[in-house]
Amino acid sequence: MELIDKLSILADAAKYDASCASSGAPQRSSKGRAGLGASNGMGICHSYTPDGRCVSLLKVLLTNFCLYDCQYCVNRRSSDVPRARFSPEEVVRLTLDFYRRNCVSGLFLSSGIIRSPDYTMEQLVRVAQLLRETHQFRGYIHLKTIPDADPLLVEQAGRYADRLSVNIELPSEASLRQLAPEKSAASIRAAMGTIQRGELSRQGQPRAPAFVPAGQSTQMIIGADTTDDSTILRNAEALYRGYQLRRVYYSAFSPIPASPASVPRAAPPLLREHRLYQADFLLRGYGYRAAELLAGPGDLALDIDPKLAWALANREGFPLDLNHAEALQIARVPGIGLRSAQRLVALRRQRRIRYDDLVRLRCVLAKARPFIITSDYHPRQADAPSQWLRRQWLEAPRQLGLFP
Amino acid sequence: MISLDCGDCFDIWRGQARQLLSHGIAPCAVTWAGAGGDLFASAGPMPLGQGPRQPRVPAQLPGLLCQAARYRGEQRWSLLYEVLWRVAQGDRSAMLAGSDLGSELHRRVKQVRRETHHIHAFLRFVPAAEGAAEDAAVGAAGPQFVAWHEPAHDVLGDACEHFIGRMGQARWLIATPRDGAYYDGQTLQYQRHCPAAWQHLAQGGDDPDGGLWLAYYRNLFNPARLNPKALQGHMPGRFWKHLPEGPLIPALVSDAQLGKRRDGQAREVARLKGKRVGKG
Ligand code: SF4
Repeated sequence: MELIDKLSILADAAKYDASCASSGAPQRSSKGRAGLGASNGMGICHSYTPDGRCVSLLKVLLTNFCLYDCQYCVNRRSSDVPRARFSPEEVVRLTLDFYRRNCVSGLFLSSGIIRSPDYTMEQLVRVAQLLRETHQFRGYIHLKTIPDADPLLVEQAGRYADRLSVNIELPSEASLRQLAPEKSAASIRAAMGTIQRGELSRQGQPRAPAFVPAGQSTQMIIGADTTDDSTILRNAEALYRGYQLRRVYYSAFSPIPASPASVPRAAPPLLREHRLYQADFLLRGYGYRAAELLAGPGDLALDIDPKLAWALANREGFPLDLNHAEALQIARVPGIGLRSAQRLVALRRQRRIRYDDLVRLRCVLAKARPFIITSDYHPRQADAPSQWLRRQWLEAPRQLGLFP
Repeated sequence: MISLDCGDCFDIWRGQARQLLSHGIAPCAVTWAGAGGDLFASAGPMPLGQGPRQPRVPAQLPGLLCQAARYRGEQRWSLLYEVLWRVAQGDRSAMLAGSDLGSELHRRVKQVRRETHHIHAFLRFVPAAEGAAEDAAVGAAGPQFVAWHEPAHDVLGDACEHFIGRMGQARWLIATPRDGAYYDGQTLQYQRHCPAAWQHLAQGGDDPDGGLWLAYYRNLFNPARLNPKALQGHMPGRFWKHLPEGPLIPALVSDAQLGKRRDGQAREVARLKGKRVGKG
């Protein structure tokens, strides 16, 4: 098979992994040195695909042959799809070629499981080793970790890769048993633990060789089973806390060719996925807890974003006086982001905050208005019921200001 | 009215601004002629030598002005002088994003930063055509990789370091309609006015392996998640014509829209013969 045909098949097979991030790597440069590649902590999106997603890395599978039969996966052994396998050298060649063209900033390599978890992991490590040692490649490398692979292989992978990830796949153990019978929650978590121990063992030892400097991430498939958002967010929170994950990715389950009856044929729940990302962002960046966003079982609202939903459910803290509140409190106002909140606090050292300052900072005032007080503004709807505010927001044409 | 020309160069402008400030000349008494300069301003003389005043400004301000100076547009230089003047008068809010003047300054900085991201992201190198370097005055060896890029603001100068870090000892040439840069693996040659020979060289690569990237791009997206608006928002149409994958986009979008693929698989892959895997 020609390289270009393998590439078509193995790119097609890899697209269900949502992550394509290349951020968080340390400063590396090839200036004046043999070899190729740099990283500086900031990710770069070199292109966007027609589904609106960022292309930052060459994202392929080493092979889509697989011994497992995960029901949600296009590569499961019972799936009737074209199969291909790269040699490690072929992946290296493609990575370097795309990198020189400035089409990508590195490689995200995953694989179906062939022969055994150890053998598969060895092959992945081999690619990273060739890139780093033979070609002195200093771009970004993300390797998928195969659960059940020997911890020594994971340790080796972590010395070459900027990021490792083990996919949690489904948000509950019961679903995993049902849809991915060959996988186990215990071995997935054990692999996460191995990576975390590697990270911890380097802490406070600046001269130790780097180990996954961009940390570990995972992915959960949304909508292949019936788990609710409340469980999903609590799981994500536990993963962030328990394993210091950098990111949890949510992937709306999208129908696969020759779909088995055990998973839905419906269009992917993209809006739900979007709300989960918003909620996740609030967990990571704004200090919300999962229990604040969803107190009991159930799903996030689809019609309004989770921050607005939280504010409407917690009116006792509002309206908030922007001339006195802390930056993190201000950032909890719907329509005002963390950056704007920090800028308001900076401006406040010079003079008092006025309503127009928010306009200039391009805050979403249509959302923020009922929740704020400035030196020249007090909301008329401070006592209006939340249900009414919610309706006003939903029914208003988006360009016009609503709460007058 | 004093009318000045800084050739769209920040260093020259900074020298002029410093001198104006030292003589206490207010922004309303000076203009910078650019391409669309003020023809009706009757030019008066610039006072000679340094004046008596030596105002101090916060340390962050020069960097901010330098960033904003990369922005191409109306009042490119006079706005910067107005900010500098007001801050030098003691009105620090003029450089903060929350104020009237500061919000325009920060808008420009943001636009420039965006355009810098764009050049880091969307510039594409292709292998240089064999022997094409001879008459381009870039030394004996000539570039191995060439790129043509059309940035909306003056961001190439700042972006060179980024590509030097990425490309190691490779030799490369980047040309734009205005400026150009050639790196021979060791030293950088930056030209504010790009030589025509460079522009020619940059637009004529020779790329037998170009099809690999296109094959990757075609198979990478999930037709069941089609979202051309998001694509447009992140990767403005003006870049498409210089991206190798740009011409593929309309057909990929309309194929997916017509519902040819309701699942995630790419069309080309669906045409190939499938294969189940025997159990272990
Ligand atoms: S092990 Fe991975 S590649 Fe194989 S079927 Fe399961 S999810 Fe798919």
